[in-house]
Amino acid sequence: MEKFSYIGKDVKRIDTASKATGEALFAADLALPRMLVGKILRSPHAHARIVAIDTAKAEKLPGVKAVVTAKDTCGDKWGVFKYTQDQQFLPTEKVRYVGEEVAAVAAVDEDTALEALSLIDVAYEVLPAVYTIEDALAPGAPQLHDVYPNNINVHVVIDVGDVEKGFTESYLVREDTFTAPEDSYFQGEPYAVAAQFDHAGNLEIWMPNAGPHLKAKPLSNVLKIPLNKVRVRKITIGGAFGGRSEISPADVICAFLAKKAQRPVKIVYTREENTVCTRQAHAMITKIKTGVDKEGRVVARDITCHMDGGAYSSTGPIATSVPFLCMEQAYRMENVRYNGYRILTNKPIRGMFRTHGRGFACGVDIQLDMLGEALGIDPLTMRLRNARQTGDTTPTKSYVASCGLTETIEKTGKMSRWEEKFGKLPPYHGIGIGCNSVQTGFPMGIRGGSQAFIKLNEDGGVTVITGIVDNGQGNDHMIVQIAAEELGLNPDDIQLITADTEVTPSDPGSYSMCETFIGGNAVRLAAQDVKKKLFRIVADEFGVGEEELSARNRKIFVTNDPQQSMSIAKAVRMALTRNESISGEGSYWPKVDWKREWVKNPYGQLSETFSFGTVICEVKIDPETGQVEVLEVTASQDVGYALSPKVIEGQFEGGVAMGGQGGMLTEYLQWHEGRVLTPTQLGYLVPLAIDMPKINNIIVETIDPNGPYGAKEAGMSVAMSAAQAYCGAISNALGVYFHEYPITPDKILKAIEEKKKREREG
Amino acid sequence: MKEMKKTALTLSVNNETYDMVSYPNRTLLEVLRDDLHLTGTKESCGEGVCGSCTVLVNGAPVRSCLTLAVAVQGKEITTIEGLSAGEKLHPVQEAFVNHHAIQCGFCSPGMILTAYALLAENPNPTEKEIRRAISGNVCRCTGYAKIVEAVMSLAEKGR
Repeated sequence: MEKFSYIGKDVKRIDTASKATGEALFAADLALPRMLVGKILRSPHAHARIVAIDTAKAEKLPGVKAVVTAKDTCGDKWGVFKYTQDQQFLPTEKVRYVGEEVAAVAAVDEDTALEALSLIDVAYEVLPAVYTIEDALAPGAPQLHDVYPNNINVHVVIDVGDVEKGFTESYLVREDTFTAPEDSYFQGEPYAVAAQFDHAGNLEIWMPNAGPHLKAKPLSNVLKIPLNKVRVRKITIGGAFGGRSEISPADVICAFLAKKAQRPVKIVYTREENTVCTRQAHAMITKIKTGVDKEGRVVARDITCHMDGGAYSSTGPIATSVPFLCMEQAYRMENVRYNGYRILTNKPIRGMFRTHGRGFACGVDIQLDMLGEALGIDPLTMRLRNARQTGDTTPTKSYVASCGLTETIEKTGKMSRWEEKFGKLPPYHGIGIGCNSVQTGFPMGIRGGSQAFIKLNEDGGVTVITGIVDNGQGNDHMIVQIAAEELGLNPDDIQLITADTEVTPSDPGSYSMCETFIGGNAVRLAAQDVKKKLFRIVADEFGVGEEELSARNRKIFVTNDPQQSMSIAKAVRMALTRNESISGEGSYWPKVDWKREWVKNPYGQLSETFSFGTVICEVKIDPETGQVEVLEVTASQDVGYALSPKVIEGQFEGGVAMGGQGGMLTEYLQWHEGRVLTPTQLGYLVPLAIDMPKINNIIVETIDPNGPYGAKEAGMSVAMSAAQAYCGAISNALGVYFHEYPITPDKILKAIEEKKKREREG
Repeated sequence: MKEMKKTALTLSVNNETYDMVSYPNRTLLEVLRDDLHLTGTKESCGEGVCGSCTVLVNGAPVRSCLTLAVAVQGKEITTIEGLSAGEKLHPVQEAFVNHHAIQCGFCSPGMILTAYALLAENPNPTEKEIRRAISGNVCRCTGYAKIVEAVMSLAEKGR
């Protein structure tokens, strides 16, 4: 008999039939009786003092049912950490970016709501603004906040070993600076929120989110109602990619409009609002100095990164740290110093992104290629010599319980025929490699653990109740797979109640790649709790020990004598007649160092485990147009254990599209001062089917000692390393190392021109 | 807006006739979603670029966000809700489910209808023809590989 019935198998995803028929409801699809249309008035200025807001005319317009300003939200502020509470839900004194929320209306239809917005008079006193990291740091620069001198929002310092001594002892040292502008999450679904209050003061609210509990707490704070009155409901979510985790001013505004109007209100963002007024990814300038020995092993590394954080903190301390942490996990380095600065500018707010730090990671990786070239060592060997290994401890003191990085490098190299190709391809053909590592969960305070409940029905079917949220990656399916496997039921026997703060217990949310590891473990423990209770009943009946029993195909049976069996339905009914509780409960807290803090104490176990990925990419470049044709991509990741291989392949392929094809070739936001010029698909070029190369997937399994069935994460390592592989391949094709990303045709043509000039000049 | 007069509007959607009174500037997307509650048709860009709002008009894929509702009177409109027959998924929907071609699902209705229209016109498309046909539909999650596989599986059946 096979070990598992559903785990490790490609069972049809439980949520996709309803998505294929249009039945699945997203937030914008909700229609509640008497529902109003909400619209938000936004700042046209990058930096301005709000002198006065006059809403009288708008309030008198027929059809307008509510108007909300900062008077209603009382100037309340939001921040992920106590020390970063700097964003008012609606600003009282200043606006700090073009697009910031100023006021909002709810009206009977969209036209009336838009007309009402035009009737709101806001008197601004325009202030000088800063749009770049350099300008924000310049002496005498306009200051965005009182509490962040010199516009430095966050400064993370990590210092391990003796970096200066390391450089002295290095055989070869080089220093380079790498830059990348802002990119966009560009979720398929534009942000939307619907809210309604009942007369008992209970709020029901629907929005795409990466964790309903992360939304509920700030709503409870600002509305000054207890958490049990805030019901963030489950809804189908059209992608998150690291965004949508924090409270949005739109959530608060929608709730206040619904409260004032005592009618349901729905706000649906335009594509432009989704790009500008949710979150963007940070622009970065990264200076990297690396010293290696003769064999290419890193002896010392010193990195200074400046990130353009936009107008507010958001997840600032995390965002400032993670690009470094990914690289310290991926590559061994003993003497290392990191200075990460998050700088405030009068631009939209930046958050955590699936490919957060493309400029950072590509810099670290491409510099390894440069050092390797000088030493006569090829890029793949450079990575093998520096690859993290199982049992290592990272510089910031995280123990690495499982690591298949070397295996991913070797297998990806073999499948892509690296040895046959590197250095042997015709002109303008190139091959490149990237490696990365991602956390599966951070220390997240009281919300760091997950709990799950399981309720049984008399026919043997169950309902799993968990806070796990599905942003589209298949987390709901993962819950069903685990519960069905543990209980010996069919996936059809499992119903879910998930991501609903009225019912489901605490969970960290689909954030920091932790849902499978933390939420999945909690579901598994809850199912094991149920199983244990059922086994006790059956063991009594059969006169055997509980440990002699197994559950499969809706039956509990004696493992060594399967003929001796009882249906799970019967076992449940016996429990009911015996008045025995058979509901299950499971709870999982990751073993991380709770004293670790992003700024004050960046040392200790960061995450219970880490994933590792390698991508190799082969390209051909047209020297006349600068266009890159990607011939083949091979993506590999140590996922711990593949609970659902096809789901994981989908993550790899989507990761290559977002991180590599889009992230390194076409995706970046263009600006005029603080205004985004390319907020829609017309200017922001997301990859299309015709653009995408052939992708080979390699799943590497290291069976993590603590993951559910050994599983870790599967969504991010490939997305990150794809950018690095694309960067390496283009550099290899042209014999020019790129320092500015993405690598667009104009940069390629310029590089070819400059190279020719250098060659002419000798 | 207030000066504009509503006019009679008759649409045939998924083989049902709807008589309405509507402003003549309303798009097909708005009428489908807001008046007929056929919310399977999605809005992602609102400017005809992303393909999420794709519906079929006389069998051809059309961006409903750029189409005025009054302009498609007398034509047969098919939305994603009209593709499956009762409880049974259409083979294109079935292929998308079986091949793991759906992740978040926001682009799926438009993508499925575009694939359906391609296969109706060309039952045996090559991979390149499939990629070209669906390149007016943006998917942010999948990297398109499994979508192409799903459509290829139907093409192979046609062979």
